[in-house]
Amino acid sequence: MHEQKVIDGRDLLPPEPLELTLAALDTLVPDEELLLLLYCEPHPLYSILARNGYRYHAELREDGTNEIRICKA
Amino acid sequence: MHPNLTFEQAPPISVPYRFFLTAPLFGVAAGLMLAWLGAAALESRWTPGALALTHLLTVGYMLQAMCGALLQFVPVSTGGNIWRPKLVAAVVHPLLALAALLLALAFVSGRAGLFQAAGPLFAVSLGGFLTVVAVALLHTQARSKSLDTLRLAIFGLLVTATLGMFLAIALGWQTGWPLLPAANVHAVWGLGGWALMLLMGVSILTVPMFQLTPPYPGWLARWLPPGLLLLLCLWSLQLVAGDGVALAWQSGVALTGLLLAALYASTTLWLQARRRRRLVDVTFLFWRGAMWSLLALAVSWVMLELPQGYAEHPRAPQWLGMLALVGVFVSAINGMFYKIVPFLNWLHLQRLGGLKVLPPNIKQMIPEPAMRGQMKLHFVALGLLLAAVLWPPLARVAGLAFAASCLWLEWNLVGAARFYAVFRKQVLIDRTRADVAGRES
Repeated sequence: MHEQKVIDGRDLLPPEPLELTLAALDTLVPDEELLLLLYCEPHPLYSILARNGYRYHAELREDGTNEIRICKA
Repeated sequence: MHPNLTFEQAPPISVPYRFFLTAPLFGVAAGLMLAWLGAAALESRWTPGALALTHLLTVGYMLQAMCGALLQFVPVSTGGNIWRPKLVAAVVHPLLALAALLLALAFVSGRAGLFQAAGPLFAVSLGGFLTVVAVALLHTQARSKSLDTLRLAIFGLLVTATLGMFLAIALGWQTGWPLLPAANVHAVWGLGGWALMLLMGVSILTVPMFQLTPPYPGWLARWLPPGLLLLLCLWSLQLVAGDGVALAWQSGVALTGLLLAALYASTTLWLQARRRRRLVDVTFLFWRGAMWSLLALAVSWVMLELPQGYAEHPRAPQWLGMLALVGVFVSAINGMFYKIVPFLNWLHLQRLGGLKVLPPNIKQMIPEPAMRGQMKLHFVALGLLLAAVLWPPLARVAGLAFAASCLWLEWNLVGAARFYAVFRKQVLIDRTRADVAGRES
């Protein structure tokens, strides 16, 4: 079972969710998962993750929340 | 889910910033010109001073800000590919600034040669800008209501610019062409078809995202922009009527257009009241001021048109113009600057530093007290400008207040640009150190 950190960015002003996520990536260990909750697709974050060796899986919930699960590749 | 932004195609930061840092200077020039001309500039919309002031604000302040914003907004919000943005900005920006300056001087001095000089500059700068933005908006694969509205806004700018060129030729070469119908249609397309349409297109995307409101109702985002376009086409029929006076039924067209504008303003205020976090930042307040000004504009129009109203008073258009230009558009643009400039600083520093060097907090980019102070001065200046329409001896004070507010805005924006430059240097040093440390370990 993975350890999980959660960032709920749904009521945060851009770029606060991105700031918090980048800070959290810094301390993410290999077995850990970061769960980010947003109301949008964070394309800037996706490209940062792809460039820096992270995997992510995004899933849209019925209430419009985008659940993005991030871990080290 | 809310609309998205993608920054992979964002242009270099210098592209929007060269426009953003120039725009407030035209506001300073407009304020100083009003202070210099005094009450005489407000006697009617047709005085040389009033025409010069109007164009310093519209093609100086507003057009600079809106062109810069679109060169940034089109790639990131629609994925539209702007052809060689640095080159486009390097050509469009100085030519547009010079053209605006020459046009204002042409109105004040009445010299035909200045109209003759301004015309080709507008043709090249706006022709180039319209071409690259239209190609980007037409070729993108994205689909959204915001994008559809932006396309209509670009068409609105094309109509406005074409009529403006016609007027510049008529004034520059004394052709004797009838000016009044073209001027009426040019003004309404500029304010409604270009500026308001663009504001609506940007609002649909950014108000929910940056002010944490629910999205605009789908029916409103779908039908309001084409409804406005239809009314603008009906309004333009006075061009073929030829006598320069709006046809009797066209006052109904104008009223319907203002009701649509009021619907957009009241919806935005309603969404703001339902935002998910009770944050009250300067962008929120500037936009609220802009929307209240738009409502005041619609109410003023109705009251002026009443049987006992003052629709024929020579200063009635000045009242409406102050509300539209300074109340609605300058307020909204100021609010947009204070959101987008810190955001672009942060984003470009983040891209530069990667995960190794995190950028400074976005709230450090422009000090909050400086933004709030400038905002208060802006709304005081707006109040004074409106009061000066009612009591013209106030014109010089109002002009100075507006110039001061624009100068303060410029100071804040230059401060943000300097902040970026300083931290960019620091990020590059830190990144080099991190690379060296990484190789050594």
